[in-house]
Amino acid sequence: MKTSFVSSYATQTSMRLVVAKAQAEIQQLQTEAVTGRHADIGVELGGKTSNAVRLHRDFEQFSTIKSTNSLVENRLSSAQAALTQTADSVQELMEALIIANDSDNDDLRSVAVNKITGALEAFTDSANLTANGEYLFAGINTDTKPMTDYFEPGNAAKAAFDTAFTTYFGFNQTSASTGTITGAQMQDFLDNTVEPMFTGADWQTDWSSASDTNMTSRIARGELIQSSINTNADGFRQFAYAATISVEMLNIGLSDEAQTVLTESAIKAAGQGISGIDDSRTVLGISEARVSKANSMLQIQADLTKIYVSEMEEVDVYEASTRVNALMAQIETSYSITSRIQQLNLIDYLR
Amino acid sequence: MSLASALNTAQRSLSNASTRTEVVSRNVANAENPDYARRSSHLATDTLAGAGIASIQRTTNDVLYKQSITTIADEAGQKTLVEGLDQLKNIFGTNDYELSPAVLIGKMRDNLSAYAAKPNEPTLAETAIASAQDLALALRSGSEQVQQIRGQMDVEISSDVSKLNDMLARFHTVNDEIVRGSFGNGDVNDYLDERDALTKQISAIVEVRPVTRSGNDVALYTMDGTTLFERIPRTVSFSAQPAYGAATNGNSIYIDGVPLEAGSGSNSSAGGSLQAQLQIRDDLAPMLQSQLDETARAVITLFAEQDQSGGGGVDLPGLFTLATGTIPPAGVRVDGIASQIFINAAVDSSQGGDPTLLRDGGINGAAYSYNTAGAPGFSSRLDDLVTSLDTPVAFDSSSLLGSSKGLINFAADSLGWLELIRSDATSSLETKEAFNAQIMRTLSNTTGVSIDEEMSLLLTLEQSYKAATRIISVVDELLQTLMSAVR
Repeated sequence: MKTSFVSSYATQTSMRLVVAKAQAEIQQLQTEAVTGRHADIGVELGGKTSNAVRLHRDFEQFSTIKSTNSLVENRLSSAQAALTQTADSVQELMEALIIANDSDNDDLRSVAVNKITGALEAFTDSANLTANGEYLFAGINTDTKPMTDYFEPGNAAKAAFDTAFTTYFGFNQTSASTGTITGAQMQDFLDNTVEPMFTGADWQTDWSSASDTNMTSRIARGELIQSSINTNADGFRQFAYAATISVEMLNIGLSDEAQTVLTESAIKAAGQGISGIDDSRTVLGISEARVSKANSMLQIQADLTKIYVSEMEEVDVYEASTRVNALMAQIETSYSITSRIQQLNLIDYLR
Repeated sequence: MSLASALNTAQRSLSNASTRTEVVSRNVANAENPDYARRSSHLATDTLAGAGIASIQRTTNDVLYKQSITTIADEAGQKTLVEGLDQLKNIFGTNDYELSPAVLIGKMRDNLSAYAAKPNEPTLAETAIASAQDLALALRSGSEQVQQIRGQMDVEISSDVSKLNDMLARFHTVNDEIVRGSFGNGDVNDYLDERDALTKQISAIVEVRPVTRSGNDVALYTMDGTTLFERIPRTVSFSAQPAYGAATNGNSIYIDGVPLEAGSGSNSSAGGSLQAQLQIRDDLAPMLQSQLDETARAVITLFAEQDQSGGGGVDLPGLFTLATGTIPPAGVRVDGIASQIFINAAVDSSQGGDPTLLRDGGINGAAYSYNTAGAPGFSSRLDDLVTSLDTPVAFDSSSLLGSSKGLINFAADSLGWLELIRSDATSSLETKEAFNAQIMRTLSNTTGVSIDEEMSLLLTLEQSYKAATRIISVVDELLQTLMSAVR
């Protein structure tokens, strides 16, 4: 007859199970205390794991966009700086034209022409500025110099203008007959022959190699902005028009009437150039503002994402380590109980 | 004759004591044997010859024993399921799921958007393509590993089936001995121990219901009523597939000609390891494969190139392609497509390709070029690719993750699906383990040996032995006295 409901095997096994379970848990808690995350996130989160993975990806995406945004910001601010220089050149052109308009002195005109030549050169330089290995004003043709140098020997724009002049008047700029050009002729030549060379399709063959398509950049998940302008913009065309006619015809001994028509047209074009450049600066300025707004938005989103992720995945490290201590105490208790139970053996008392 | 009778009874008492000591000693020897049921000796009074041993009995508790068979089967099934699920999860890496399609698609998206921000930078193109290559590799190796796990399940099933057949053969022998011994009134207790142990082991492979019949004969039935053993063992047959692909169906396990059903649910209905192995092989692993397949199909479709020339050409594979070189139909799963996806050689610089085709399109010829002017700052194609990864596309709803969602969401949900099951299965395993341990402890407490009890019994036996010897010596003295009086 069995009198007791305890078997030696069960007693020992249950002790062993307690210790094994506590040891496994200690191992898991140690990992958690060190990494600060659940030891097995999938088991802990179950179906919510997909959210955790998504939030991680979101966080990475925000970081990537933020780092590419610094590239965009760099491009935009470089372009703004270059446009400031361009605006200075236009301003200089304007001043020179006003000097030339007010005088009938050839010397002063020649000074004005020199000044304008300098302004056109400076303008060309700033239009050809690069940042980060990209031409700033080339649209998406980032590896092509967008603006030709008018004063380079064999320049196509210069050749085109010379041909147009000779074809229209029957003589070239250095001819003695330039004085015979009437105001009406000059007006017609400028409006119907020269201006279309700048505002029409010829611009892109003679002057600009830029693409009409501007660079676009994604600065937030749902926000795509224009991040460059190109030398096909009105400001560039009008400036080049004003500078070219001034350099070529301001000091070639025109009649007073023709001279007046010329300077007035040049001043008008320079004025349009200024407003065109300003328009471009505004476009870029808006983009700059959007980038900085997007950046602060991204920062907030990234921070929030991080908070969500940590709420899901992280454990209380303090709790984990106190729990390890508690478990260790439990295991020690279990050990000492085991050894006491081993001593509690009838055999030892049977001598 | 009363002195001789006293001597006789004392002798009987001695022999009783030694028999009972033998039982105690056997109990002590088996104290650590979990399959041993304690023997007890029962004394019955023999009116002719004084006390006599009537029987040695084996302690049993039928209810607990049957319950233990069920809990053993449940625990074994759940444990097999969790191990399989752990293996499936390990395909995707550790806690950060660094090898999962969801994470790799995200990385590729980040690299693509970095390239879109600076499209004239060839190293960024290389980086984006390298991350695409990682994705293609992860899909291929993930799919390969899923199939390997299915194959491995087959191997484990084969080995369990042959173990089961061996055990049934031994069960047959043991059961026959018990039946024979029971008729001949022999001591069959050791065989009973062995039969119980075998039943437990069989139940860890496939859950059985033992039914005891006349002559202590036991028949084993599986839970769906198929006969596993009745007088003679029934054949359990299984033939493993030599290799697994996404379209391969595993063979059934036949018990007495009836196919064994697979387990179902994360708190699995599987009793024993076989049903859980079937569940992994035929249910969970193929579902994961189908989700990988859908991911691969969507990746190929999203990166496909459209005819830009207005010539009306069909869409052709772009960055990701298949050996067939065509786009699979939308919203319909193609089995095993994840194992065939690779990076188009036309963009892979290590195979002589041009990485900038990723930016410009035109992998399939000039008609498919998006950047006809060849502008190096062209980013709209890249930007479209980046946004397409979050735009809902059609998925086959048989993959259980919905029929329309963004690719990254789909891939993340696939992880969520797996982890939901694994998490539930793991907590169910804890419950089943605890329950089984509880039942086993109770059973052991009821039928096992307590050494202390045996020792105290031994004390009693020692005393009764001493008493018996004392009686013999007293009788001896009495006889001597009688003899000397006679002399």
